[in-house]
Amino acid sequence: MIKKVAVKPLSWIERIFFVDFIKGLTITLKNAFRKTITTHYPYEKLTPPKRFRGFFAHKVVDGTEPQPAFQEWVNRYNIQVEYGKSRCVVCLRCKRACPVPQLFEIEGKKLPNGKRVVSVFNMNMLLCTYCGFCVDACPVDCLYQTDIHETAGYSRKDAILTLEILEQIGRDWQLRREREPDRIWIDDEQRQRLWAENEVKLPKVQEGV
Amino acid sequence: MHSFWIDFLVAIVKIIVILLIALGIGAFLTWVERKVAAHIQRRPGPMVVGWHGLLQPIADGIKLLTKEDLFPRYGDKFLYHLAIILALVPATLVFSVIPFGPEFEVFGYKVKPILSDVNVGLLLAFALGSMAVYAVALAGWASNSKYPLIASMRKAGVLVSYEVVITFAVMGPIILAGTLSTYEIVQKQIEQKLWYIWVQPVAFVVYMFAALAEMGRVPFDVQEAEAELVTGFTVEYGGMKFGLFPLVEWYIEGLTLSAIAVVLFFGGWSPINIPFVGFIDPLFFLGGLSPFVWFILKTTLLFLFILWLHWTLPRYRIDQITQTAWKIMLPLTLINIVLTAVLAPIVWR
Repeated sequence: MIKKVAVKPLSWIERIFFVDFIKGLTITLKNAFRKTITTHYPYEKLTPPKRFRGFFAHKVVDGTEPQPAFQEWVNRYNIQVEYGKSRCVVCLRCKRACPVPQLFEIEGKKLPNGKRVVSVFNMNMLLCTYCGFCVDACPVDCLYQTDIHETAGYSRKDAILTLEILEQIGRDWQLRREREPDRIWIDDEQRQRLWAENEVKLPKVQEGV
Repeated sequence: MHSFWIDFLVAIVKIIVILLIALGIGAFLTWVERKVAAHIQRRPGPMVVGWHGLLQPIADGIKLLTKEDLFPRYGDKFLYHLAIILALVPATLVFSVIPFGPEFEVFGYKVKPILSDVNVGLLLAFALGSMAVYAVALAGWASNSKYPLIASMRKAGVLVSYEVVITFAVMGPIILAGTLSTYEIVQKQIEQKLWYIWVQPVAFVVYMFAALAEMGRVPFDVQEAEAELVTGFTVEYGGMKFGLFPLVEWYIEGLTLSAIAVVLFFGGWSPINIPFVGFIDPLFFLGGLSPFVWFILKTTLLFLFILWLHWTLPRYRIDQITQTAWKIMLPLTLINIVLTAVLAPIVWR
């Protein structure tokens, strides 16, 4: 069944005195004299939420690896675990999950003691769609996305994340935000200013109607 | 011979002053518009260049001047450039019939702050205003591209409809004043102690609608229509050539049309009016400057009102616009003329 909804036609008084215009104009006038709610971007920056999908990073081995999964994968691939270095086990699952696999360039190398370690891990961010499939695919919680979103550079080379950069971003992020509780927004006054005004007021449910 | 040279000198000075106003203030109005738009949408607008972005127009100008000048393949180069001239010159020429204040004396020589007090000033203003249609049509045609062409057709349609309406709308004040000279119309309003807005509200509303349509402001900006036509007939223009069109259409025409509205309906340079009783001048302490300040104040307020409308209203469809013009506005103005003719003897006394 279709519920028919008609727009209420304007009365003659409303038409002659432009009542709709005046309503709209009062709203814009009110807003024109209210305080602005924007942040002055290059001089003021908002903190993105913890789950923000920005530039990629490699978490480093620091004792917070997901156990026992990490140890299982290390054993399976015979990986040399080094404190303060990438947790990557060179399983290539990120590359498989990626919709644009050629943006990954991953190589491992064999050490003299027979164990293996990741040697090359390049990501070409020009091809990346920031979808985060690789992060979901990572079995050892190594590859993940950070809150770094100012990704502009002066050359194409700047857009390539090498293993060193990834580890560096990872260390930095782990220091800054690892221990933050996982909420959608962190406590940010700027955000709260926006949110306080967007609070949706739901109508109360009437009983017996 | 001596008086000829003085006249000549005065005319030159007037031209320079008016050009400075037209182009300088016109460029500065881009900043005003951006600020007003931003604050209506609760943004601060330009803030970086100068105090609160006050030097933004200069930065924009430099950017536009140093931009690459592209020309569409198979376009008509002559008409392409002619369109710019046809847009800029008539719009600026309208300033020549706008009276900025009453007659005053400099070194014992009487000067009227109006470039040419012709006795058909209003006719001239609206004739020059309708020249805009050539600029738009030529710009659309010479660009050899579909969006500009569609846009120019739309604008031509709107202009043709609203030129008729605006001419009939200003007929009311003309009947009351009994003259076509802009200077004389203001004089008459001061003599009759009456702003014509009090007896011509319908004409004023219609005039405002038509003015919005002529300067391509919302709700009549179909020729621009960012969402459908990118930016209308300026699509194929680049650099300062692109910058000139909005400058002319939104700011110079906006200024002239609000100034003419002030002349016709708000008594030009006269202070606040109580109908048939007299004038109250809260700015009396400015002495001889007061009329000029009043004129500028009124024009500014009207221009700001237009900006306010622009950033509030949605856009009409092209057929709705022309329909409003021919089916509602035109009959309204005709009725208004008849009523005015009945009313006129009371105003004349």
